Amino acid sequence: MRLRSAAATGSCCALVVGLAACGGGGGGGATGGKVAAKSLTIYSSLPFQGTSRGQSTAVLNGEKLALAKFAPGGKLGQFTIKLQSLDDSTAQNPGTADEGQTRQNARQAAGDKTTIFYLGEFNSGGSKVSIPILNKGGIPQISPANTYVGLTTNDPGSEPGEPQKYYPSGKRTYARVVPRDTIQGAALVSVMKSDGCKSVTLWNDGTTYGAGLARNVELSAKPGGIAVQDKQRTDKTAPNYRALAAGIKSDCFLWSGVTGENGVQVFKDAAAACPNCKLYGPDGVSEEAFTNPAKGGIPANVGARTKTTVATLGLKDLPKAAPVIAAYKKKYGAAPDPYGIYGYETMALALDALKRAGAQANDRSAVIGQLFQTKNRNSILGTYSIDKNGDTTLTDYGLYAVKNGKPTYQRKVVADKKLIPSGSSS
Amino acid sequence: MEAASVAAAPPVARRRGDTLRRLISTYGLIIALVALPVLYTIIDLVHGRGLVPIADLLVQGISNGAIWALIALGYTLVYGIIELINFAHGDNFMIGTFVAFTLYGTLGLTLATGPLGLIGGLLVCLIVSMIACGATNVMIERVAYRPLRNAPKLAPLITAVGFSFILQNVGILWFGSSQFSVPDLIHSQHVLFTVAGVRVHNSDVLAVAVTIPLVFLLTLFITRTRIGKAMRATAQDPEAARLMGINVDTTISFTFLMGGLMAGAASLVYALYQTTLWYFSGFQAGLIAFTAAVMGGIGNLKGAVLGGLIIGCLQQISDNRIGAQWTPAVVFAYLVLIMVFRPQGLVGEETREAG
Repeated sequence: MRLRSAAATGSCCALVVGLAACGGGGGGGATGGKVAAKSLTIYSSLPFQGTSRGQSTAVLNGEKLALAKFAPGGKLGQFTIKLQSLDDSTAQNPGTADEGQTRQNARQAAGDKTTIFYLGEFNSGGSKVSIPILNKGGIPQISPANTYVGLTTNDPGSEPGEPQKYYPSGKRTYARVVPRDTIQGAALVSVMKSDGCKSVTLWNDGTTYGAGLARNVELSAKPGGIAVQDKQRTDKTAPNYRALAAGIKSDCFLWSGVTGENGVQVFKDAAAACPNCKLYGPDGVSEEAFTNPAKGGIPANVGARTKTTVATLGLKDLPKAAPVIAAYKKKYGAAPDPYGIYGYETMALALDALKRAGAQANDRSAVIGQLFQTKNRNSILGTYSIDKNGDTTLTDYGLYAVKNGKPTYQRKVVADKKLIPSGSSS
Repeated sequence: MEAASVAAAPPVARRRGDTLRRLISTYGLIIALVALPVLYTIIDLVHGRGLVPIADLLVQGISNGAIWALIALGYTLVYGIIELINFAHGDNFMIGTFVAFTLYGTLGLTLATGPLGLIGGLLVCLIVSMIACGATNVMIERVAYRPLRNAPKLAPLITAVGFSFILQNVGILWFGSSQFSVPDLIHSQHVLFTVAGVRVHNSDVLAVAVTIPLVFLLTLFITRTRIGKAMRATAQDPEAARLMGINVDTTISFTFLMGGLMAGAASLVYALYQTTLWYFSGFQAGLIAFTAAVMGGIGNLKGAVLGGLIIGCLQQISDNRIGAQWTPAVVFAYLVLIMVFRPQGLVGEETREAG
């Protein structure tokens, strides 16, 4: 009898401990509500190791620049704002968000009672990990670069259960300032169509972002009249892709992935196997680590055949960004990577939401409310709103070619609306 | 190394199914190995594509496999003599690729370098990479394995894993943790010549031209020289070799040196062939090469080469016809099949441990 009651007590204790452990996924931080202190912390989580370092540094510099402009001396109204930068990559998993490290970063922010915003992740795969943790903690989050459809909607390209599974609280806490991949997919197809592509070999890097965008490109290619001939997933650790590339029979080639997933080797092998193919890549490869041979990127002759799309427009189509670019150059001694502009706007949007919250800027719920009430914001990216899913209403993409080892802006791409796969967007 | 072989165990009573197993292990495996190329050859012929596509893949498979074979020799040499899986071997190879790339810069080898300068420079790169990898391998043996000679087998094994990580971190410190492109000095994917429509690239010729003489020299060295005979004697029975006056420690060090030299040669070929390097390439290449050594029969030089070539061809065919995501599964399925019917590998014999 005594043994049985001891067992029952033990089971109850285990259950309680188990439930406590389950509830602690958010890192034990306050779930929404007010931050008691007058000092507020904005976390920025980006991959600083490997090929993404250049883009991440640009994003962080942009964030710092916006913080200095909109909260001079770190003061915003009655509150003090502190920026805390975190690295979500590791030496063993460079160039992208490492799942374990990202979880740790999100938990650190969720466990910090002064946290008021979390800016990140750069990679959609990372945000898959951080959104649920921060959502449980009621912490508003803005990504400067995520484009994966399933983070915010169940549009074509998403997976079953998305996006609801990322929001355990049932309320949306995540927004982004770049258009999602349904639009980038359509933009890429628009570009290929205008370049005269009849068929495309479509490979992806197997990441959340790469595979999702590839699905979107495929969905847009059909109405665009471009035949998708060969779909393959590339393995980052493969020594080469020559045998795979031997199967290219199309007149155009598109790899949906990020540089850190062995993108340079993929393009070298595809270019060699198909000397007349036009080559395309998404924003994930539109960086010097990919385009500059001196920095380990693709050779110049491959670069000359490569075009990429990025949600950033060039100066001629983005006149409002001119002062920011000038300030960036002055402070950091070089023109920003396109993502520097997005870093700037991410911080500017966060500070704007805090400003609109006024005396309630230390109330996470109030700040989330303000973030989702962003309407017709007059920003350096143009005028946009944040919709109920957390998506920007901006839809323009920039087309970039490789010139002197750098992604160089060519023109604005307005995706043909007929090519954008329709969905319920919930 | 054939020297690892011992006399066959006395015959045991025949069981039912033994004959079938013996038939499968000899003829069945050969049929299984040629099944994929034959199947796709038939498909190509039916679709009117001829023999060229599959022959193209086999040419690339052989050249890729030649690199795996050179690395596999290091595994098989060391296993043959001390029955240790030297997990650090692949990472030593990676260090070799970094040495070779560094030498490009030191010697001023660029795409603009003339043919004579390039050949001379690459020869220097080859020699220095081989020396670097050989010296590193000897150093690892002296520092990490020799003190554990009489320790339980798990101790040197885990030490090898430890050294693998140390070398990987050296690689990260040296060139960072991302893949990076290196100059394509030999225009590796340039078609040098065609035979009946089958394309042979510069890199294919390089890989085979470096591998064949080295394997030939290594075989001569082991079979004909005094130290080679000492290696074989040590592999057969270290205690008996010691009693016969052979310096076993020196012999083992020499074996590590040989393995390192082969890895060094492979590293330059790899850098010129793939033109993308990173710290993790050693782990990946090491895994493939170790599989090749086991597939061919670990401890057997011919087996390592055969295993490397088979895996190279399987990878190319699978990548091209089945899908790159299935390639590891295809390669390891073949390994499992071979192990089930020939646990000693394709040309291996029973080793001290197994026998």
